[in-house]
Amino acid sequence: MSKDILVIGGGIAGMQSSLDLADMGIKVHLIEKLPSIGGKMAQLDKTFPTNDCAI
Amino acid sequence: MLDVGRHPNIELLAYSEVEKVEGEAGDFKVTVRRKARYVEEDRCTGCGACAEKCPTAVPDAFNEGLGDRSAIYSYFAQGIPSTHTIDPDHCRQLNGKKCGICAKTCQAEAINFEQEDRIIELDIGAIIIAAGYDIFDPSLIPEYRYREIANVVTAIEFERLLSASGPTEGHMDRPSDRAVEAEIEALEKKAKKSQKALDKLEKKFDEPSAAFYGKYQAGEYKGDEDRKKWADKYTSHVKIVDPLEELKKKAEGFTVAKRLAFIQCVGSRDFRFYPFCSGYCCMHSIKEAIIAQEHELETHSTIFGMDIRAIGKGFEEYKIRGGNNSNIIYVRGRVAEITEGPNHNPVVTYEDTRERKVKNQEFDMVVLATACAPIKGIDTLAKTVGVELDKYNFIKTGSLSPVDTTTPGIFVCGCAESPMDVPESVAQASSAAGRAAEIAFQSELEKEKAVA
Ligand SMILES: Cc1cc2nc3c(=O)[nH]c(=O)nc-3n(C[C@H](O)[C@H](O)[C@H](O)COP(=O)(O)OP(=O)(O)OC[C@H]3O[C@@H](n4cnc5c(N)ncnc54)[C@H](O)[C@@H]3O)c2cc1C
Ligand code: SF4
Ligand code: SF4
Repeated sequence: MSKDILVIGGGIAGMQSSLDLADMGIKVHLIEKLPSIGGKMAQLDKTFPTNDCAI
Repeated sequence: MLDVGRHPNIELLAYSEVEKVEGEAGDFKVTVRRKARYVEEDRCTGCGACAEKCPTAVPDAFNEGLGDRSAIYSYFAQGIPSTHTIDPDHCRQLNGKKCGICAKTCQAEAINFEQEDRIIELDIGAIIIAAGYDIFDPSLIPEYRYREIANVVTAIEFERLLSASGPTEGHMDRPSDRAVEAEIEALEKKAKKSQKALDKLEKKFDEPSAAFYGKYQAGEYKGDEDRKKWADKYTSHVKIVDPLEELKKKAEGFTVAKRLAFIQCVGSRDFRFYPFCSGYCCMHSIKEAIIAQEHELETHSTIFGMDIRAIGKGFEEYKIRGGNNSNIIYVRGRVAEITEGPNHNPVVTYEDTRERKVKNQEFDMVVLATACAPIKGIDTLAKTVGVELDKYNFIKTGSLSPVDTTTPGIFVCGCAESPMDVPESVAQASSAAGRAAEIAFQSELEKEKAVA
């Protein structure tokens, strides 16, 4: 077994790190201070420069 | 987001904070506080029945205070986990008053007012800090009169106004108009109540209130206590209805904001606050202006900036497209002041550096492109985790090791490191994941060596 990783913050950066590690088969504990993950990006209507929906 | 919630290798600890970190790379002991939600996570189905019935309204942080939520709430509709949370600062029951309506409503019996914080311990190989950033508070710049002029908003507030799931369902309703509409709603409620009381009296005395009041004033009912009460009720009713009608007339003239100003570098590239460029704000102003024009074709936007920084892949083309197709004008100049003109219209005073002239221009709404500020509490977090900060309070890294903190085994990514946009945050996140994985697998190799 590999060692677990702790990720602090569940915005786009924390979510991406967590998914990358989890896909490598590593166990991740993702800590988010707010009731839900998503961070600032979840508040955005769409994102530049493609105007894709943020969530 | 969904993938994160569902991944078998990810334990999601939301509504939690790191309390203590001990040890070193490959062998950290981490203490985590799981804050009490007063809702059992494994029972709550996220149906929202409780929130619908909860009588307590609290400004909704997800909507930047542009709407309300209940004291029991989910942070946002699609939030993961969907478990609801009771806000201990505002819940009546948790503040010694009688309520408990949510508990009675919840079919899953998930509400638990006795729930307490839980402390858990984790064995960790490496840590990634991805705590993000804060919106710079533009009220620190008095000449922009944010909070004083209702129709001066921040870019993140504007994102919520643009959002179909936001407080205006994507309409560019002006905050000054929304305040009037809220007043109308409150007055209508009051008027309905006082009308009910009048209805009863009119039935009792078999006479319309207005007709009665005429006679009362002429002195017809001297000494009649019941009729005096009726007269008082009637005058206070008129005091509600008259301004209500006036406001309603005013509201008929409301239209969505169509003349928009975007002000760049609010708190960034400003030696009073942050000398750095926040990197993403030129682009989000262009984006917001493009989307606003998609929502309302007559929208015209002016973006005021020292220069427009469009240096990512496809960004310059996006900027030009905005100018050609979305009625955006780019003005080179720094805004000196915002004042309030007639009809709550913000008036922007700026120097047009091309014409070398100071000009005033009136808009329906002004959007402030605020700086990327270090997140509140980052100093405590840095101390707890054991890493150094740079002079602005972002996590300190080296120029050739942009995801390594000052402590081995602890990495950083996203805006906790420095201002950056989403594509850059994602790239740094993968990079930090790679660095952390080295440690995770190293300890695996060492264990294998030890066994052999
Ligand atoms: C108005 C506006 C519009 C934007 N539009 C775009 C756009 O269109 N395209 C684009 O590429 N970029 C855009 N950006 C930039 C974008 O928001 C950032 O690049 C991105 O959100 C950074 O993600 P992050 O994960 O680093 O930080 P965040 O999104 O801030 O996430 C950090 C998370 O960590 C949590 N956290 C904080 N402290 C702690 C703690 N102590 N313990 C546990 N958790 C903690 C926070 O609650 C949060 O959930 C925009 C920015 C603004 C202000
Ligand atoms: S007990 Fe608190 S959360 Fe529940 S309905 Fe009453 S005020 Fe709302
Ligand atoms: S990205 Fe644009 S608005 Fe933001 S700080 Fe840099 S120059 Fe100013």
